[in-house]
Amino acid sequence: MAKLLDLSIDFCDVKFPNPVLLSSSPVSNTAEMIGRAFEYGFGGVAYKTLGFDNIKIIHPSPRMAGYTYGSNNLIGLQNVEQITDRPLQDNLMDIEYLKKHWSNHVVIASIMGFSEEEWIELAKMAAGSGADILELNFSCPHMTVEGSGMKVGQSFGLIEKFTSTVRNVVDIPILAKMTPNITDITEPALSAKKGGADGLTAINTVRALTEIGLDDNVPKPNVAGIGAMSGYSGPAIKPIGLRCVTELAQCTDLNLPIAGCGGIETWVDTTEYLLCGASLVQITTGVVHYGYRIVEDILEGLSYYMEEKGFKSISEIVGKALPNIQPTDRFDLSRQGVGEYDLDRCVGCGQCYIVCQDAGGQCIDWDYDKRRPVHDEEKCLGCMICSFICPVSDPPLISYREVKNKKSVIPPVSE
Amino acid sequence: MEPCFTPDQAYAEAGRCLLCFDAPCSKGCPAGTDPGTFIRKLRLRNIKGAIATVKNNNILGGICGILCPVSGLCEKECAATPIDRPIQIGRVQRFLIEHGRKLKFNPLEKKEPNNINIAIIGCGPSGLSCAAELAKEGFSVDIFEKKPKPGGVMRYLIPDHRLSKEFLNEELKDISSLGVNIRYKSPVESGEELEKLLKEGYRAVYIATGTWGMKSLGLASVYKGFYNAKEFLEKCKSTEKPDMKKIISGKRVCVIGGGDTAIDAAESALILDAKDVSIVYRRSFAQMPGDENGKIEALKSGINFLILTQPVKYLTNGGRITGIEAVRNKLGTSDTSGRPRPVPISGSSHIISTDIIIEAIGFGPEDDSKMLFEKFKLSEKGLILVDEKTGTTSKKSFYAGGDITRGPSLIPEAVADGKRAAKAILEDMELS
Ligand SMILES: Cc1cc2nc3c(=O)[nH]c(=O)nc-3n(C[C@H](O)[C@H](O)[C@H](O)COP(=O)(O)OP(=O)(O)OC[C@H]3O[C@@H](n4cnc5c(N)ncnc54)[C@H](O)[C@@H]3O)c2cc1C
Ligand SMILES: Cc1cc2nc3c(=O)[nH]c(=O)nc-3n(C[C@H](O)[C@H](O)[C@H](O)COP(=O)(O)O)c2cc1C
Ligand code: SF4
Repeated sequence: MAKLLDLSIDFCDVKFPNPVLLSSSPVSNTAEMIGRAFEYGFGGVAYKTLGFDNIKIIHPSPRMAGYTYGSNNLIGLQNVEQITDRPLQDNLMDIEYLKKHWSNHVVIASIMGFSEEEWIELAKMAAGSGADILELNFSCPHMTVEGSGMKVGQSFGLIEKFTSTVRNVVDIPILAKMTPNITDITEPALSAKKGGADGLTAINTVRALTEIGLDDNVPKPNVAGIGAMSGYSGPAIKPIGLRCVTELAQCTDLNLPIAGCGGIETWVDTTEYLLCGASLVQITTGVVHYGYRIVEDILEGLSYYMEEKGFKSISEIVGKALPNIQPTDRFDLSRQGVGEYDLDRCVGCGQCYIVCQDAGGQCIDWDYDKRRPVHDEEKCLGCMICSFICPVSDPPLISYREVKNKKSVIPPVSE
Repeated sequence: MEPCFTPDQAYAEAGRCLLCFDAPCSKGCPAGTDPGTFIRKLRLRNIKGAIATVKNNNILGGICGILCPVSGLCEKECAATPIDRPIQIGRVQRFLIEHGRKLKFNPLEKKEPNNINIAIIGCGPSGLSCAAELAKEGFSVDIFEKKPKPGGVMRYLIPDHRLSKEFLNEELKDISSLGVNIRYKSPVESGEELEKLLKEGYRAVYIATGTWGMKSLGLASVYKGFYNAKEFLEKCKSTEKPDMKKIISGKRVCVIGGGDTAIDAAESALILDAKDVSIVYRRSFAQMPGDENGKIEALKSGINFLILTQPVKYLTNGGRITGIEAVRNKLGTSDTSGRPRPVPISGSSHIISTDIIIEAIGFGPEDDSKMLFEKFKLSEKGLILVDEKTGTTSKKSFYAGGDITRGPSLIPEAVADGKRAAKAILEDMELS
C-alpha cells in the first residue's frame, strides 16, 4: 500500500484508525476473518449480529442470490441470512480476542434481542467482552423470529424502548442501525435518539425481490421451492443509502454522527457517503464480491483524494455536499441549456436520434447519407438523455451548455 | 505508435479482468510489474494507486506496455482466455503511465541520501532500471554511457514507428527526476578502467552493456548496399546524414534473418518507401523466432516472406549489391534448438535480384568486450556469468544483467535484472 495521509477520525468519542469498517454480516463472522480484514487495512468492524442461543438460528440454504446486469456481476445481492448462528459464548470470546490483539482497531458489537431481557443481557455481555461500541440491529428485513429486526425498526415505540433499555445498562456508545424500508427514516432515528442512542448506522438491506425463476416461478434465492421478500444490498442500493444518510444528516433535531452503509465498493463510493454526512462507512457486499483486499484501494484512493483537494482530515470531508442538496423548489428555473454535439468524433450509431425521437424533444433529424444526427438547438429540451446513451466519451461527445434567455420549449398540439 | 486507450476503454478492459487470486499474469511478467494488482486498482477506481504500482515496480512501465511481447508473457497467463480473450494488459499498463503524465502525478519517492556511490556501465533499460531502483533507496548513482544519449537499444535501434522518441524521452524524465547522473560519451574500455572505478570511491559497479556485436554470414565485405541490421536501424533512426530515405526509396530490399530485428529492419525499409521488401529465412514460417503478432503484421503490411531460402553468395557489380545467389531448403531432423534443421535441396540454386541486403541474423557481445571483461567468468558466447538470484559476477563488487548476461532478450528482463542487482547491492551494503 502507498504511504497514506492520516485517515483517522473520532466517532462517538472513539478513535478509528480510518473510517472504513466491515458491516455486520458474514464478512464479520469470526475473529479469524476480522483479524485478516484488519491486516488488509479495515479500521474497525461491526461484528455479525449477536443473539441468544435459546432460539436456535438456522440459516436457509442457499442464503444469497447474486444479481447480474449485462456483464456486470453482483450489482446487487439478495440474502435471507439470519443473525449469527454461532454460540453466543464463542462470539464473545472472539470479540475479546480481537480487542486483545487489535487494540487500535474498533470493534462494534451488533446485537439483537427478542425480548427486553435479552437486549439487557446481550448489551452487558457484549460490553463486558470489550466491545467499544454497541450497534442495535433494528433493521434486518427477514428475521423469521416474531417481533424482531426490521419489525422493531418500523415501530417507533419499540425503538425508543429497547434503546433506552440498553442505555440504562451500558456506558459505551450506542448506535441504532436503521432500515430504509420506511417512508421517513428520520422518525425512527429520532426515537432512537430519545431512547439514548449516540449515533446511527444507515442503511441495512432494502426489502426486495430481485429475480423470479421463469421455469419454477420461485424467487431467488430459491430455498427448496420457496423464496421470500428479503434484504437487497450492493451497488444497486447505494443511491438509497446516500438518500437515507443525507436525510439523517440534514435533520437538525437529530444531530447524531452517522456510519454510512449500502453499496460501497470503492473510495469514490466512500467519499460520496462522507460528503453526504457519514463519518464512517461500513461494507458487506463489496467484500462478498471482491474480498477484503478492496480496502487497500479505498484507503489509497481516499488519501490521494484528500491530497488533491487539500483536506487535512477525514472530518473535513464529512457533510461537504449537504448544502448543495436541497428541495427541488430551490432550483433556478430561469437557467436552461441544450446538448452540444462535437460531431467530429461521432461514430454514427444513431442512438441519440432514437432516444430524442422516442423520449426527448424530437429535436434531432437523421442524415441518412452521412449517418449523422442533425441537432436543432432551438427545439432541444436540454433533458440530456442523448448524452447518457452516446458511446463516445473522454470527453463526452454530447455535453451540456447553458443558453442565456433560452426560449422555453413546449411541444405543440399534435396535428 | 498505436493510439493509447482512453480512460473509458481502460476501465472497460479492467472491468473484464477476473481479479484472479494469486494472479497468473503477475507471474508471467518477467519485470515484476504486477499487472494483477494494477488492474485491480484501476477496476476499483484507485487510478493513482494503479499508476503508482506500475511506476514503482517498473521504471520503464510505459515502454514495456508498448514493447513487451505480451502474448508470450503476462497475457499468455491470463485466466480470462478460455472464457473470453486475454485482458490487454500491455495497453492498460501504457494507458496508466500516459494518464499519470496527464495528471502530472509522479509517485516516485526518494529516501534520504546515504552517500554511497554506485557506478553503472551502460544506459540501456537494464542500467536505467538499476539506477532508478538505487536512487529511490538514496544511493548516488553515476551511469557511464558510450553513446551521446540514453536508452540503449530503445534509443538507437528500435524503430520510431514502434517507440517514438518523445515517448522515450518522457519515460526517462522520471529517472532524471530521481537525480541519476548520466555521463554520456564515456565508454569504459578496459579491465583496468573497470577496476579503477572501485578505487575512485564507487562501492559497487553494475554492468549492463548489452550485446551490440552483430553476427554475420561472412558473405560480404564492404559492398555498397550491404548493411548489418544494427547499422541499418541506427541509421534509420538518426537525424544525421546520410538520409536513409534517399538511399532506400524505390529500391529492392532483402533482409536476411527471421527474428524481431529482421522484421524491424524490413518494416523500416517499407516505411522508407522501398519498392519491394523481402525477408529471407532459411527455415519455415513457424520456426521464425520473431513475435507471432509481429510476423502477422509484417505479412499484412506487404513484406514478402522468402522462407526455406538460404543465401550462399552475394552478387555485386562494381562494388554494389545486385542480388543474392540462394538455395532452397527443406526441413530435416531437429537440431539442438528443437527446431527442424534446414537441409539444402540440390539443384535449387537461384538468384534473387536486390539492391540492398540487410543481415539480421543475431546479436552477440561486441568483439572488444573480451578485453573489457577479461577478469570475469564468461560463457562460451562471451556473456558474463552471474548468480541467478543476485546478479553478482565472479568478481566481488561487480554485478551484471541485461543482454550482456542473457544474450539478446527482452526489455522486461533487462528491467528485472536491474532491480535484482539493486536489491543485492542494497543487501550487500547493509551487511558490510
Ligand atoms: C532491433 C531490436 C528490437 C527489439 N525490440 C524489442 C521489443 O519490442 N521488446 C522487447 O522487450 N525487447 C526488444 N528488444 C530487446 C531489448 O531491446 C534488449 O533486450 C534490451 O535493450 C537489453 O537491455 P540492456 O540494458 O541489457 O542493453 P542495451 O539496451 O543494449 O543497452 C546497453 C547500453 O550500454 C552502452 N554500452 C555498451 N558498451 C559500453 C561501454 N563499454 N561503456 C559504456 N557504455 C556502454 C550502450 O551504448 C547501450 O546504451 C529488441 C532488440 C533489438 C536489437
Ligand atoms: C448475507 C448478509 C447478511 C447480513 N447480516 C446482517 C446482520 O446480521 N446484521 C446486520 O445488522 N446487518 C446484516 N446485513 C446487512 C449489512 O450489514 C449491510 O447493512 C447491507 O448489506 C448494506 O451494505 P452493503 O451494500 O455494503 O452490503 C447482512 C447483509 C448480507 C448481505
Ligand atoms: S511489464 Fe510487460 S510483461 Fe510485465 S505486465 Fe507489463 S506488459 Fe506485461
